[in-house]
Amino acid sequence: MKTYVRFPNARGSFRVWQREFTIFGKYWKTLTFPNFIEPLLYLAAMGLGLGAFIQRGGINGQSYIQYIAPGLLAANAMFAASFESTFNTFVKLKIDQIFDAIVTTPVNAEDVVAGEYLWAGTRAAVYGTGFLAVLTIIGFIFLPNQLLISSWWALLIPLFLFLVGVMFSVMGTLFTSLIRRIDLYAYYFTLVVTPMFLFSGIFFPVTRFPAPVPQIAWITPLYHAVNVCRDLANGPTLGTLADLAWVVIFTAILALIPIQIMRRRLIS
Amino acid sequence: MPAWSEEATVVARNLKKSYGDFEAVKGVDFEVYRGECFGFLGPNGAGKTTTMKMIYGVAIPTGGELKVVGLDITERERDVKRRIGVVPQENNLDDDLEVRENLLVYGRYFDLPKKVILQRVEELLDFVQLTDKAESEVEHLSGGMKRRLLIARALVNDPDLIILDEPTTGLDPQARHLVWDRLRELAAQGKTLILTTHYMEEAARLCNRLVIMEGGRIISEGSPQELIERHVSPQVLEFRAPTETLERLSPLVQDEADAVEQTDGALLAYTADADTLLEKVRSAGVAVENTAYRQTDLEDVFLRLTGRSLND
Ligand SMILES: Nc1ncnc2c1ncn2[C@@H]1O[C@H](COP(=O)(O)OP(=O)(O)OP(=O)(O)O)[C@@H](O)[C@H]1O
Ligand SMILES: [Mg+2]
Repeated sequence: MKTYVRFPNARGSFRVWQREFTIFGKYWKTLTFPNFIEPLLYLAAMGLGLGAFIQRGGINGQSYIQYIAPGLLAANAMFAASFESTFNTFVKLKIDQIFDAIVTTPVNAEDVVAGEYLWAGTRAAVYGTGFLAVLTIIGFIFLPNQLLISSWWALLIPLFLFLVGVMFSVMGTLFTSLIRRIDLYAYYFTLVVTPMFLFSGIFFPVTRFPAPVPQIAWITPLYHAVNVCRDLANGPTLGTLADLAWVVIFTAILALIPIQIMRRRLIS
Repeated sequence: MPAWSEEATVVARNLKKSYGDFEAVKGVDFEVYRGECFGFLGPNGAGKTTTMKMIYGVAIPTGGELKVVGLDITERERDVKRRIGVVPQENNLDDDLEVRENLLVYGRYFDLPKKVILQRVEELLDFVQLTDKAESEVEHLSGGMKRRLLIARALVNDPDLIILDEPTTGLDPQARHLVWDRLRELAAQGKTLILTTHYMEEAARLCNRLVIMEGGRIISEGSPQELIERHVSPQVLEFRAPTETLERLSPLVQDEADAVEQTDGALLAYTADADTLLEKVRSAGVAVENTAYRQTDLEDVFLRLTGRSLND
């Protein structure tokens, strides 16, 4: 039997994305709420609560709340895409057998995976846009001297969060493609997602720590996503492009792997 | 015989499928012709579903050749899938969508124009008598309704070939008759049907030709009538009595009948002339409480070929 690398087809991927969009259209009110509230909780607890103690000096000339707000945008995209590509994908794969039904149509298994990537990106971008708007408004109303979002470049953030969503969807789907039991996601969230959330420069600048902390941060995807979000919120530099390139290259390298593994799970 | 018959919608040659070390399908040959209804019978684990899955492209053969609608499924995956409809053994309706939405979304997977989908969906809801349930959640449908919705879903793309893996399992008699009527209608429209079933009556009523599988092999093939003629006598007498009585009856019947089978509490005698046999038994003076006479059917063939004990 021939075995070669499979590539998704744009039309098939779109159909899978469209299915998700249809369902989101029905349930978005209930689906969106928690994703919206959670980052605000972090912002309040860390930014205002903890921030009150770090007030003097701040970080890099910013107040603490100003410092963490853009990073939370990246983290929110990570969480949205990670839940989508783990629990939700698992249910569609194993429990509801949604994918089994789709692969008997001209939409192939590889399109299913790519469509789910695109959907996770879309969801991350949609939530991110809402959260970005809230951050901007909070800044204008409560912190006019230290706006949370201070650059017009921030308009590119939703687009970038789409990319971040795709990246974390690729990672989550890779994990999903390898496991047989839904309880194993505890490992993924405890060992991958949560450490990234805490140590990727959202809450403190990792580059000021001695080696190997900055080096470890550099190999985590969220670190670069946080950097880009922070730069877009405050005005980017050339370094922003390097972080962006990291995200693009990492995603591109990894994206085809879950596609191959998932295909083998759907087509035996 | 030509290598590939013009009229054949599906051709399998020495088709095999292994899962690891286990060979689920051990080399089967069959041809399904355009416009016919072709059945797969066989006990649990015989390899029917595996064969269906190879035909609709979600199991990759590990040996042999397979052409579906004239194309090699491994090379022309999307083209084949565009032209077939699939009713899988296990329900995999989209629980996140309502009944009508299930059909609409499924139609999109085939890139059909929206107008065509909208129109066809209403026709299909009517075809399987689910128009009243169009706005229901799939979860709230009964098992039989789900099965009918699956059949409607398989027809969204107006397929040339429809593969039905146990389409009527779990249906009540009314629903089963409805499905049979619909399948006959489809056959009359010139569609090719491939179905698996555990209901011999269903196979006898619907199938022009069928195969019986066991242990990954095809053990017999033909029209229902041919199979009956080939494997069993036309009539069968069932004697029910205590075991001791049956023991005494057995040698007597054995002499007369073409074949005899003994099960718990019953003796089945296959014969071309039931009257004579019955006369012999009566004149021998063995007291049998209960004697039933009937024509043999596909079930007798099935049990003869695959045995009476559980297979898996
Ligand atoms: N994915 C798989 N991995 C390993 N073995 C499998 C797999 N799918 C099927 N089998 C095995 O292959 C054999 C044939 O299974 P199949 O589902 O084709 O039987 P079937 O004839 O459809 O039975 P039933 O009437 O119960 O539906 C069984 O022994 C089954 O355990
Ligand atoms: Mg089966």
